[in-house]
Amino acid sequence: MKIKGIVAMFLGWAVPGLGHAVQKKYVRALIFFVSIFAMIGLGLAMGGKIYPVYLEKPRTLLEVFINLFKKENPLTILAFFADLGNGLFYGLARAIGWGAGQLERATFEFGTAYIAGAGLLNFLVALDAYDIGAGKKS
Amino acid sequence: MIFESHLLSMVVYAFFVSLVLALIRRPDNKARLRYGLFLFAAMTAGALAFGWFMFLFIKR
Repeated sequence: MKIKGIVAMFLGWAVPGLGHAVQKKYVRALIFFVSIFAMIGLGLAMGGKIYPVYLEKPRTLLEVFINLFKKENPLTILAFFADLGNGLFYGLARAIGWGAGQLERATFEFGTAYIAGAGLLNFLVALDAYDIGAGKKS
Repeated sequence: MIFESHLLSMVVYAFFVSLVLALIRRPDNKARLRYGLFLFAAMTAGALAFGWFMFLFIKR
């Protein structure tokens, strides 16, 4: 693995499009940035939820893993991993308190899907930035 | 409230996903345009077709 690719991948995950921007792929970077943030913004405006991970004072790494699934609906762990793809925005949203989810709204499910979809797309964008940095594609 | 129409929500979602995937998965602009349009059409038509399929099971 090449360092340049890894750095680009990390930057691309942290801020959508940044991994491409540092490799002078400005047009693609701008399109990725606008698209992914538009999806996140629309998702939040629709009352979508950003899923947190609950850690109940774990003492070992195994307990951290087990706690991930101690929820009313363990499948929300998948939504958590998808949301995590939004990079620094995920941490920012959790810190500010955005994305609590408005279950009573008709648009809640679609909003949640927008936010999770943006995260999954950003994972792919970050991997694409790695491929460019590693010289696998242009 | 925005996007109360699920159809509009789905079309906009399909647009963004098609745009990003076309840029990632195809090397030149012509191929990107074709692939992006194909993805957008497949997602939109697929969702509409599945929506009508579910209509068969509606409780009256």
